[in-house]
Amino acid sequence: MAHSSNSNLAHHFVDSEQQFDASKMGMWIFLVTEILFFGGLFAAYIIYRAWYPELYIMASSQLDTTMGAINTGVLILSSLTMALSIWSAQHNDRKKTTLFLAITIICAIVFMIIKYFEYTHKFHLGIFPGAYYTFTGIDHVKAPQFFSIYYMMTGLHGIHVIIGVGLMCWLVIKNQKKAFDSSYYTPIEIVGLYWHVVDIIWIFLFPLLYLID
Amino acid sequence: MDNTTTSPNIGLKIKRFTSPDHPEVNFAQAEKGIKAWLTTIDHKKIGLMYLGSIAFFFFIGGLLALLLRLELWTPAKTFLDADAYNQVFTLHGAIMIFLVLVPSVPAALGNFFLPIMVGAKDVAFPRLNLLSFYIYLTGAFFSLYSIVTGAVDTGWTFYTPYSAQTSASVVSMTFGVFVLGFSSILTGLNFIVTIHKLRVPGLTWGKLPLFLWSIYATSVIQILATPVLAITLLLLIMERTLKIGIFDPTLGGDPVLYQHFFWFYSHPAVYIMILPGFGVISEIIGIFSKRRVFGYWFIALSSMAIALMGFLVWGHHMFVSGQSTLSSVVFSLITFFVGIPTGIKIFNWVATMYKGSISLRTPMWYALMFLFLFTIGGFTGVMLGTLSVDVHLHDTYYVVAHFHYVMMGGMLVAFLGGIHLWWPKMTGRMYNEKLANLSALLIFIGFNMTFFTQFILGAKGMPRRYYNYIDQFQSLHQFSTVGSWVLGLGFSIMLFYLLHSLGKKGVIAPKNPWGGRSLEWITQTPPVMENFEYTPVVIHGPYDFHKPIAEFEYGIEGSDSHVHDHHSDQHDNKHSVNA
Amino acid sequence: MSGHHNLSLKVLIGTALALGVLTILTVSVAMIHIPSPFNIVVAISIAVVKAYLVVMYFMNMKNDSKFNLLSFGFSILFLLILVGFTMLDTMFRVEVIPGF
Repeated sequence: MAHSSNSNLAHHFVDSEQQFDASKMGMWIFLVTEILFFGGLFAAYIIYRAWYPELYIMASSQLDTTMGAINTGVLILSSLTMALSIWSAQHNDRKKTTLFLAITIICAIVFMIIKYFEYTHKFHLGIFPGAYYTFTGIDHVKAPQFFSIYYMMTGLHGIHVIIGVGLMCWLVIKNQKKAFDSSYYTPIEIVGLYWHVVDIIWIFLFPLLYLID
Repeated sequence: MDNTTTSPNIGLKIKRFTSPDHPEVNFAQAEKGIKAWLTTIDHKKIGLMYLGSIAFFFFIGGLLALLLRLELWTPAKTFLDADAYNQVFTLHGAIMIFLVLVPSVPAALGNFFLPIMVGAKDVAFPRLNLLSFYIYLTGAFFSLYSIVTGAVDTGWTFYTPYSAQTSASVVSMTFGVFVLGFSSILTGLNFIVTIHKLRVPGLTWGKLPLFLWSIYATSVIQILATPVLAITLLLLIMERTLKIGIFDPTLGGDPVLYQHFFWFYSHPAVYIMILPGFGVISEIIGIFSKRRVFGYWFIALSSMAIALMGFLVWGHHMFVSGQSTLSSVVFSLITFFVGIPTGIKIFNWVATMYKGSISLRTPMWYALMFLFLFTIGGFTGVMLGTLSVDVHLHDTYYVVAHFHYVMMGGMLVAFLGGIHLWWPKMTGRMYNEKLANLSALLIFIGFNMTFFTQFILGAKGMPRRYYNYIDQFQSLHQFSTVGSWVLGLGFSIMLFYLLHSLGKKGVIAPKNPWGGRSLEWITQTPPVMENFEYTPVVIHGPYDFHKPIAEFEYGIEGSDSHVHDHHSDQHDNKHSVNA
Repeated sequence: MSGHHNLSLKVLIGTALALGVLTILTVSVAMIHIPSPFNIVVAISIAVVKAYLVVMYFMNMKNDSKFNLLSFGFSILFLLILVGFTMLDTMFRVEVIPGF
């Protein structure tokens, strides 16, 4: 328990535990909005897949299952390392906290690199979003519709991965400045919650987009 | 009770803290200068900045309305051409809904009073609160920027396919609304956590002022609904820029899907807009009847019920859109049920007044206006929810009249009631009550002149958003337009006496001019920076008017949280009631 | 900080391994042809189990306040309402112009 004036405790909170619980509650509420935000895209997916099931089966073959599976593994690993960085903070191990955050960042970057290769391969084939679609390899008049949804869902997810990388870099900088220890690591905890939801969204995206056969 | 005693429910040693009406240094004096205001994390200043912005945007939206009504003086062109007319009503709607009504009570009054009513020093995340305000201004900027780059002419609902094809700056306005959504979400988030985590000892859920229950229910809706609006607008922006075709039938999309996504937010949004108003009415009727609000738990839980059931009825905006008959029937049926919790509230408010000691001050006049106007609005809502009737009335002036009765006659009137109730507490000044009552009367008369006429116009077949109309409707339109001038006059008088009260000749208000019992009436006027100079402990309920004020002034020493962290009995004597 | 439940190393690594296995399962199952709509049911069920593990163990929901779980549950519920009620329309329209 802190005996000197606790500078991490905001003046309107009674104690650190109240502040920590409030921060977690706030982040969970924010994650509810993220789920509903992505949820709209999942809804569009479901509705249009129900209308054009054969299109979805055909178009999904254009997605590289191997790359998608590797990316799934990469994100799961990154969730583990994110959780481990919190574990390290709880055990007052500053070095390990930075180490695991750094590995998480690397995993995220690997994810984006694989994504880059996937996208550029598609562009090479003429699979662009919306009006710019020129690919002729799928024999379905509504083919662009699938890829519009694909790009929206994976694109929005990718933006959230990048935002996560930014947040984690900020955490590393603050940790190196000795801002966190076992008595205060709230920002790491709540960025962790955010990162796990980014992972969960991909856990659903992967089978729904890549594994329709 | 003695000056020192033990609190009944939780056994805390408490003592009485009396304080003079006016503090030595109130919150506005504690940090001075423009920079202090613009970088403040004090919820009270943030609330006032919201209030000023909302008032300004209301003025703009109101001018647009007067312009609209003036154009409708004659059946053909009066002074606006058709495109300009479309732009004016689109802007009027978008400004009034997104920049005024959605934030109104929560961002202005909620921000100011929620922490005080729970006894806290601020909201759970004060810096996030300031960020919310700046996000609000950013969203407003982008929305209004569209006026100069190609004002939007789609109506505030931005229906596809027109919104995907029109050359107007749809992207700028929808991006602005997208950004405004974040402000709404962050405010709701802050409020939920504050109510859960920062209540002072003794303040159980059952002792919360009903205003806070309504803010809580509103915040729940904001969290669940706004993200879907965000994705809808994002998809519309993508539709325009990348032509993704998600709402375009030639590319396999569905324009009606846009409407489903849009109304999934926008119907609950009308409950975001009205629930805080209900909360204000509960406070006013309780205080000015000097009686406990009848059926406290019915009102509290019906707010939650409205919040949740409000998500199940959005299709009643789409009866003629081409959606399946099955969904139309289901939505119509559920719409009938959603009126029940609101009806319960109206009965409870009237029951509160029965055998009460009614005090007809300005806030109470607004509450009475509310009961009359909102009831009309509510009934006509059920009429529109009747599938067969709606086929005739959809997109007519009947709908326009309905939503103005609930939004303006209901919510705005409740907001004005709240302003007049809490003005003395926020500013330390009292307004001229004769002028205030005159203004209220003009607003009431002007409102009914303007909008009751529109029920008649609509039932006779006058379509909404129409620039031209048949000659037979002219006298009704003109009557409605004159009503809008009476409204304008009423608001002008209000602006005058409110500003006057802030000036050198303004009357200083006591800390509890109405005899309220909730915590905001116990603290000084205007409040100090940290709201209280002690930690309040709550013993009685917020409507226990029969108990003497002295019994509401109890608390424990110390407003500095850092003191508490050292106490070894921290866990036995938790200085707050966590959910 | 007092009153917290620290994460356990064993649980974290165990969860990660389980997630890995389930991912392999997801891909394998996709290779087998299962008649529609059961293929979707199986794929989603596995994804739900994976999400459950992430929420309960990585996000420490097991030891966290019930309110957070309730919030999470509500987000899923309302998503289902969005999809479900919209499909009451999209799946039940009568073909006005056949083949359009």
